[in-house]
Amino acid sequence: MTENRNYPDVSDILARKAEGRREAAKRSFGEKIAWVEQMRERLAPLKRAREERLAARRDLPED
Amino acid sequence: MGMKKTLDVINAMEAEGVIGRYAIAGAIAAYNYIEPTVTEDLDILISFETHPDRPRAGLITLSPILSYLKTKGYTEYRKEGLLIEGWPVQFLPVADDLDSEALEKAQEVEIRIDESQGSVRTRVLRPEHLVALSLRVGRPKDSIRIIQFLEAGIANVQHLCDVLDRHHLSDAWRAFCRRAGVADPCQLQSPR
Repeated sequence: MTENRNYPDVSDILARKAEGRREAAKRSFGEKIAWVEQMRERLAPLKRAREERLAARRDLPED
Repeated sequence: MGMKKTLDVINAMEAEGVIGRYAIAGAIAAYNYIEPTVTEDLDILISFETHPDRPRAGLITLSPILSYLKTKGYTEYRKEGLLIEGWPVQFLPVADDLDSEALEKAQEVEIRIDESQGSVRTRVLRPEHLVALSLRVGRPKDSIRIIQFLEAGIANVQHLCDVLDRHHLSDAWRAFCRRAGVADPCQLQSPR
């Protein structure tokens, strides 16, 4: 079904992502903790929204 | 708030004898070696000082820890963790020989988080023990962590295989390697 399709070569994108992961791994312990603390703050609204969605689903009356 | 203050509180608990030796375990410990992933809590592996008049076996209670932290104003829980300076902390008492060895061999580190928080001294589990503990827990995220360690070549293969052998995890390790499609470094090193 897909034999005639041309897909772009994404190997350079994947290679850059892999390099980014290696660079992240090389950071110091403290830098990684600081990064995670920032990420936790940024992700907090998404987490809250997810918890609210789950709570709303729990509160739905069963059929 | 921040990890530095959280660790300051835990260091004070150790200094005051509320807990015995401690070390950072879990995802945060893995940050010392591999690419970080976002985590919700801080796992702290702890030992309790053994008192001669207290039985050695049986249920361990975290009451002294919780009472101490309550006096310091830390009473809020987030999921299973007690919130200390913004981080939910899970205190995990040493529960078997693998835990005990991991804690004994934990390495001292000084973490400098950022300019505002400054530095703090702490201990973190070694990579070979983190791999063994991840194998024992066995959740999907633990499997990913093991693969990250293997790909990064962080764990000392000889030490890792010795730890797995010593704690009867070799069968589980071989099964993991088969399932994950990775070459068993222990098998490659010394065919058994």
